[in-house]
Amino acid sequence: MFRRILIANRGEIALRVMRACHQLGVEVVAVYSEADKGARYLRLAHDTICIGPPRSAQSYLDIARIVSAAEVADVDAIHPGYGFLSENSHFAEVCRSCNITFIGPSPEAIDLMGDKSKAKAVAKKAGIPTIPGSEGPVTSEKEAIEVARQFGYPVMIKAVAGGGGRGMRMAHNDVSLVNGYFAARNEAEAAFGDSGVYLEKMIEKARHIEVQFIADGHGQVFSLGERDCTTQRRHQKLIEESPSPVVTPELREQLGAAARSLCRQANYVNAGTVEFLLDMSGRFYFMEVNARIQVEHPVTEEVTGLDLVEAQIRVAAGERLPWRQEEIRIEGHSIECRINAEDPDSGFKPSPGLITTWIPPGGRNVRLDSHAHAGYRIPSFYDSMIGKLIVRGRTRDEAIATLQRALDEFVVEGVKTTIPLHREILRSEAFRLAKMDTKYVETHLLGDGSR
Amino acid sequence: MAARKRAGERPAKAGAAPQPSDEEIARLERLLALMNEHGLTELELGQDGRSVRMSKSGPATYAVGAPLAAPAGNPAAAPAAPAKAAKAAGDPFLSPMVGTFYRAASPEAKAFVMEGDLVKSDSTLCIIEAMKVMNEIKAEKPGKVLQILVENGEAVEYGQPLFLIQR
Repeated sequence: MFRRILIANRGEIALRVMRACHQLGVEVVAVYSEADKGARYLRLAHDTICIGPPRSAQSYLDIARIVSAAEVADVDAIHPGYGFLSENSHFAEVCRSCNITFIGPSPEAIDLMGDKSKAKAVAKKAGIPTIPGSEGPVTSEKEAIEVARQFGYPVMIKAVAGGGGRGMRMAHNDVSLVNGYFAARNEAEAAFGDSGVYLEKMIEKARHIEVQFIADGHGQVFSLGERDCTTQRRHQKLIEESPSPVVTPELREQLGAAARSLCRQANYVNAGTVEFLLDMSGRFYFMEVNARIQVEHPVTEEVTGLDLVEAQIRVAAGERLPWRQEEIRIEGHSIECRINAEDPDSGFKPSPGLITTWIPPGGRNVRLDSHAHAGYRIPSFYDSMIGKLIVRGRTRDEAIATLQRALDEFVVEGVKTTIPLHREILRSEAFRLAKMDTKYVETHLLGDGSR
Repeated sequence: MAARKRAGERPAKAGAAPQPSDEEIARLERLLALMNEHGLTELELGQDGRSVRMSKSGPATYAVGAPLAAPAGNPAAAPAAPAKAAKAAGDPFLSPMVGTFYRAASPEAKAFVMEGDLVKSDSTLCIIEAMKVMNEIKAEKPGKVLQILVENGEAVEYGQPLFLIQR
């Protein structure tokens, strides 16, 4: 096992990784930017290092600063968390060349999964159904029209380097396709520095289902059930649950087998997630692989009883996971709400600032993963997520009841949060009856006319 | 950073707290006065296996624009810093990066600067090694080196005061 781990992240996930390290008896070095100076979670680290000014480009995204912090702190490994450098293969490579273990997949596997066209090719090789679309990027509007006519409208235009809904457009005909093609290219160039886009057939009224997998360096690959992340707003996940209310045990086995086979095909070691779209007839299609621990990993932990971050660290340290696939059981039901400092009443504008009141929910079956507290000032430089409320129950209905009362207990003042929106979603019949699709929140609850 | 050894203080905190003596109460009062004097909202001090953390209620504020010698959000560094800053008239020269601080170009070489030296804008004050690269750190403005705050070979973090310089 490692002696000392540096956490190259901040906020909620830095705290989550610290907790796993403490339980493993591994020392923790936390890095922070000037905007996070004095944050309470940093006190739980054995050592802290200020790495730069508030802007993430000069702190949490600056490979040189993080690696030199790792060197002066003399750590054996770096946990990247999610976001920031977690899927940056160059960072993983620099770590390797400095003899620091990157807690995540190899740079080669990150590259393979990070390029959506290559990832799709790997999925095909592993025998997984993929969404019909262009083979690789399309390079002209003429080519885009040809491809779209081949498999029929509506189609999605997506950035090769994309994520989080950016560089993405829907098109119903040739005209909107050409417009969307250029718009997506520009947006992708601005957001990712890569204007490459590809086309996919639009799967309508789809559910977003993803499978957690983890592989160790001893040839073992495990799938840990699915998460249903259908409740979204503009491709941003709001609520995640496990198991999915629409996945049958047979379908779960198929999805799990697909994820394991993909993981083997890519020579992938450590934790990752395969995202699928599930159409109304129960067919699933490969979407992409997230080569990191995900925000919503706790729902999988709650139904499997396994600690995924601890498992990541053990795998990176070369240990063999003491599990057997047939012994991994999904028990009960877990739901997570992302608590963002955003104002749902004014277009989800970020709402940074001072939290004046923070009364967290508690009681049976309630877990709150958060670095926030009363008196905490949410910096304006980073993601607006300030915590995750996770509940469990023997059944989905029980989990919903627990989540509702936990949301009612939760008081946050000083900043606007998504708590009221979550209360509303939980009250909706579509959520209770699991009749959501990925567009439901914006079309039915928010009436987002701006789309 | 190097001064932070909070892990070692923990066992002391976990033990049963004995009643504070009059002397200790007097000490706490002196600390409180120091906190007020320097506008600190929080202070943590570890000594002889015991530690104390003092925090004033009300919203925590970041030390934006506040004197850098009194980092409100950096409790471990707080106890030592105010005393030095109170005496010295110079400006703190802050580390522009994380790395290892060296006073000379090589172990045999003469130090770039000594306390009392006059420096020009392009004078090298020290070297900070980051990722195997030796970065020469320039004075940027002329002045007189009043105090060198960091030991040769010590790890420094971004924004850490390295020198006190009278401009």
